[in-house]
Amino acid sequence: MLLEQIINGITLGSIYAIIALGFTLVFGVLGIINMAHGEIFMVGAFVGVTATGILGWPLWLAFIAAIVVTSILGYLLERFTLRPLRGKKGVSHLAPLISTIGVSILLENLSHHIFGAGNKPFNTSFSQISITIGSITIYLVQIVIFIISILLMIGLTIWLSKTKAGKALRATADNLETASILGVDTKKIIILTVVVASAIGGIAGILVGMAFNSVSPQMGLSMGLKGLAIIILGGMGNVKGAMVGGLILGLSETMLVAYGDSGYRDAIAFIMIIVILLLRPQGIFGSKVSQERR
Amino acid sequence: MLGEILNTYYLQIGSFILINIMLAISVYVPLSSGQLSLGSAGFMGVGAYTSALLTIHFDLPIVIGIIAGALAASALGVIVGIPSLRLSGVYLAIATLGLGEVIRVIFVNWDSLTRGSVGLTGIPQLGREILEFARGVGFEPAMIGIKNNQFVFLSIFLVLLVLVIVILWFVVRQQNSRVGRALSSINLDEKAAESMGINITYYKVISFTQGAFFAGLAGALFAHVIGYISPADFSYHRAVEVLIFTVFGGSEVIIGSVFGAFFLTLMPEVLRFVSEFRYIIYGILLVVLMAVRPQGILDANLLKKIKFKRSKGGIR
Repeated sequence: MLLEQIINGITLGSIYAIIALGFTLVFGVLGIINMAHGEIFMVGAFVGVTATGILGWPLWLAFIAAIVVTSILGYLLERFTLRPLRGKKGVSHLAPLISTIGVSILLENLSHHIFGAGNKPFNTSFSQISITIGSITIYLVQIVIFIISILLMIGLTIWLSKTKAGKALRATADNLETASILGVDTKKIIILTVVVASAIGGIAGILVGMAFNSVSPQMGLSMGLKGLAIIILGGMGNVKGAMVGGLILGLSETMLVAYGDSGYRDAIAFIMIIVILLLRPQGIFGSKVSQERR
Repeated sequence: MLGEILNTYYLQIGSFILINIMLAISVYVPLSSGQLSLGSAGFMGVGAYTSALLTIHFDLPIVIGIIAGALAASALGVIVGIPSLRLSGVYLAIATLGLGEVIRVIFVNWDSLTRGSVGLTGIPQLGREILEFARGVGFEPAMIGIKNNQFVFLSIFLVLLVLVIVILWFVVRQQNSRVGRALSSINLDEKAAESMGINITYYKVISFTQGAFFAGLAGALFAHVIGYISPADFSYHRAVEVLIFTVFGGSEVIIGSVFGAFFLTLMPEVLRFVSEFRYIIYGILLVVLMAVRPQGILDANLLKKIKFKRSKGGIR
């Protein structure tokens, strides 16, 4: 029983971690909290539902469709909401936050109009396959989710530390002006960051659809909030922190559902935000410097 | 004669506009010190539920319920504000967004007290109480030629109007005081303000708590005007809507919040087909505003121009 709950918690935590990655990537490079990330993730989930359920596509094609659609959304987000604000004089640091809130309610209500308010089932024969070891049942989906999230983490870490684009990205994150003087095409790097973050969000969307078997326009907000809680917990702009923070939140929520009042599981993320802000505002893996730099 | 002019429908819209102005001010005040609060719906909910529960279960007068609601909201504002305000505005936005959601979750789940997502009904109505009070001192609405329900809506409208005027007076007075100057200096440059000896956390908590107080007050009034509340009234959408009132109207001048709340409350009433696509329009509005006119429709420059024209006309 406990082991099964731990497995459920790790699955949930992996999904949260992937969502948090999208936030952390954009925050690390641009210093912006992308409030629309939760809704981009939700769109990814709906693309998955449409592709597998209505169009009857195989799952791998649904993944590609979700990645393509969310990447395009990411590009549009950068082009029309973030770029006009960049480098403009007298724009408060809250402007991008407000502007991405605008995108988030736009996307949520658009999908509300298109798909309706209720939950949509995510039907794949894939999500029914399970393995039983002794008294424990593990769904294949859970293993897939865990493996995908680990692969994403490793891939992202290698990409950031070893490749030329990753180095350029870190240089841009460190100091935009210096990076552009040293010959980094910062405009391209910023587009790349937002697109990659959105594509990761799209992948998370399909995974959530498979794991919970339901998709709704409102899921973007609650998942987005959890992603934000995780990056505060793990440290803003920190990839390792996103993974650990995601697992902590996933495990504690699963434990609360199993042994406490399931109605309050959404409250954990918030309590975590307040406690972390009081005790260690820079997050578990954050450094003091990144906290002071706004 | 008065009875023919007073249309209860218009009076009700007027009352909603006034409540929304209060809410817009509750976002404006923290924003004037550079703090973005997304928790206005949550604070509104705390105010509404506190006042409604107190008046339903303990038969307290509405006035006391409303004051208690506003105070409860501001107490919560202090609790959330102190940890998040030590850091940059981004943290406050996230913490208040989370707070709003948690408050809604509590309202939905605390069945025994809040009756869950069904909501609270039978909240004592402000207008009726005023009518009874007026009758108690020997006043009948028929004496000034209006019907009872007209009197009810009119009295609510007038009470709200007086409250909004008092709040506006307070905020304007504060802006021209030492506190107001401290707040605007924090808004312009936090580090410079701190090095001038301004206790920035203290002033940020003050402005944030005032915002929570106004939101709680508006929420409590909302509960007693409508007579029915449910957790859905205090969702994230409400918080975004209130934010748009302020950001659209103009976040640098107080009159911007008033204009934004007035215009955006009236628009869906006048243009019926708009109301279905309201949030889609709001979303586009926020993006376009931030790119084109981040300070909102009204700003100090525009106001100066309007005043200049007026004074020229006056000389003629």
